[in-house]
Amino acid sequence: MAPKRNAREPTPSSVATTQSSTTAAGSVPIPSKASYKSSSNQSPQQIALGIWQNYLDTTPQRTKLIDVFMAFLVVVGGLQFLYCVIAGNYPFNAFLSGFSATVGQFVLTASLRIQTNAENKADFGEVSPERAFADYVFGSLILHFFCVNFIN
Amino acid sequence: MRWLLSFLLLGLLSVVHAVSSSGNKLLVVLEELADKAKYSKYLADLESRGFKTTIESPKAEKLALFELGERAYEHLLLLPAQSKGLGPNLTPKLLLDFINAGGNILLTLDSAHPTPSGLVSLLLELDIHLPTDRNALVVDHFNFDKLSAAEKHDVVLVPRPDALRPDVKNFFKGDGKGGEVIAFPRGVGQTLGNTSPLLTPILRAPRTAYSYNPKDDVEGVEDPFAVGTQLSLITTMQARNSARFTVIGAAEMLEDAWFDAKVKRSVGMGGVGSDAKEVKTANQAFVKEVTGWTFNEIGVLKVGKIEHHLNEGGAKSNITNPKIYRVKNDVTYNIELSEYSWDHWEPFTPPAGDVVQLEFSMLSPFHRLPLKVATTTKNSTIYTASFKLPDQHGIFNFKVNYKRPFFSNVEEKNTVTVRHFAHDEWPRSWVISGAWPWISGIAVTVTGWVAFVALWLWSKPVPLKLSTSGKKI
Repeated sequence: MAPKRNAREPTPSSVATTQSSTTAAGSVPIPSKASYKSSSNQSPQQIALGIWQNYLDTTPQRTKLIDVFMAFLVVVGGLQFLYCVIAGNYPFNAFLSGFSATVGQFVLTASLRIQTNAENKADFGEVSPERAFADYVFGSLILHFFCVNFIN
Repeated sequence: MRWLLSFLLLGLLSVVHAVSSSGNKLLVVLEELADKAKYSKYLADLESRGFKTTIESPKAEKLALFELGERAYEHLLLLPAQSKGLGPNLTPKLLLDFINAGGNILLTLDSAHPTPSGLVSLLLELDIHLPTDRNALVVDHFNFDKLSAAEKHDVVLVPRPDALRPDVKNFFKGDGKGGEVIAFPRGVGQTLGNTSPLLTPILRAPRTAYSYNPKDDVEGVEDPFAVGTQLSLITTMQARNSARFTVIGAAEMLEDAWFDAKVKRSVGMGGVGSDAKEVKTANQAFVKEVTGWTFNEIGVLKVGKIEHHLNEGGAKSNITNPKIYRVKNDVTYNIELSEYSWDHWEPFTPPAGDVVQLEFSMLSPFHRLPLKVATTTKNSTIYTASFKLPDQHGIFNFKVNYKRPFFSNVEEKNTVTVRHFAHDEWPRSWVISGAWPWISGIAVTVTGWVAFVALWLWSKPVPLKLSTSGKKI
């Protein structure tokens, strides 16, 4: 029962991080440490839950937003590929542009995620998050233009 | 005044051309001018049909088939000669040159006069073989004329020939009633090589006929040259340039004597003809048909206007015979065909069972389509075919290749370019229902992206402090 309580405990703190992002920062690492320690005698389900909780706790809100968008892209791309496998690739250019729109958008979004992540600050010292976002918007618009043009 | 003159000229021209479709200059090679009387009816027939005959002896100095490198005559009639050779003006090479230049030759053989070796070699070159015995003639003990050859059986009586095949037009059937008899007196039978597609027999010997040399004094004939329907009595060769060459095995057929002779057939196999009466021969009419065919009076095809145009969605394009089409275009092809019949052009209709075809080919035909009759004018038929061009770009030919026995050759090629789709001729993606899921895929991606950007701009950035602390973990 104890680990469960451990897992449950951080929830309010994570709520606190989103609501008052500055104060909760110090308290976040502690429950995650506890979950790592206790993993030796936990069920896989609990481990997964722990990881998920850890993700929710430590990830900034904007990165979460990126992740949601990327997941959405994976679903849309997967559906298009599935349709191609089932119904055939007759207007092949349409398949290519539809599928590559999601793939390209995924790649661009992944780059945005890398560049705006505070942990990679050292690598992208000269690229501010605003600059990264502007690049991202520019790249995405070019991608959309190409895809719409290619689908004819 | 001027138009009146031109009409007069046109009228004169049509009078001049009212004979054969290819001209009226005819050279008759006859050794003894005295023999002319024997063929008077035949020659009168020719002249009444508009031929300008020049009668020359093969030995004449001025006899020449070519003048300044051009054909001096359109047609040549060779009647049998007494002498062994035809002389330097009628060598086999000159005769072949004459055929190659589009001239027509009617050659007659006779068993009484051995065929000159020059002619034998000419015939050999055309894959027509004559008996090795110079005096051989065709006899038939079942189909001979009782009145003139009761003893020798060498006047063979043959009915009018049937069509070569059911789908070949029979120009030589007369009025088609049957019962007509052709006398083939003392003629030389020929055999034909198997390989030449240009050779066509008009008249074959009856089943019971055989070739035999009367000078051999043996009782029974052993190992005859040829027997039965192997023997061709009248053979034709139409060259690739539609020049015609006919061999008539018996020159006597053309003589006045046999034009109005009465004949009575013998009792044939199975008692056929046991109640035969005396009948007049059909030689005059039959020989007229054979001569007319040889001298381009019948069986000549002419191609008039050829037209092809775009026919997209049933709407005829105003541009005829464009040089370029696109793949998968709908195209209509028209060809005008006429057939010459004695003195006028008339609409051409293929014999029952035969069809004129159009090929659309690049190296090999991509389409081979039957041409249907669209309209018939006073002297031509317009054939048409509409089809969709193949999905293959390149240089294509509209080709009509109509080569049939007894018809002059029709080979018409019209080259067009077939290009591929231009970049703006493809169907747009929304026209193809199969593309809709992918179109919506792009739409969803773009709207998702717009929503993401809006959310991103709307949300407040998270301070860096958190991530620096997160780094420590």
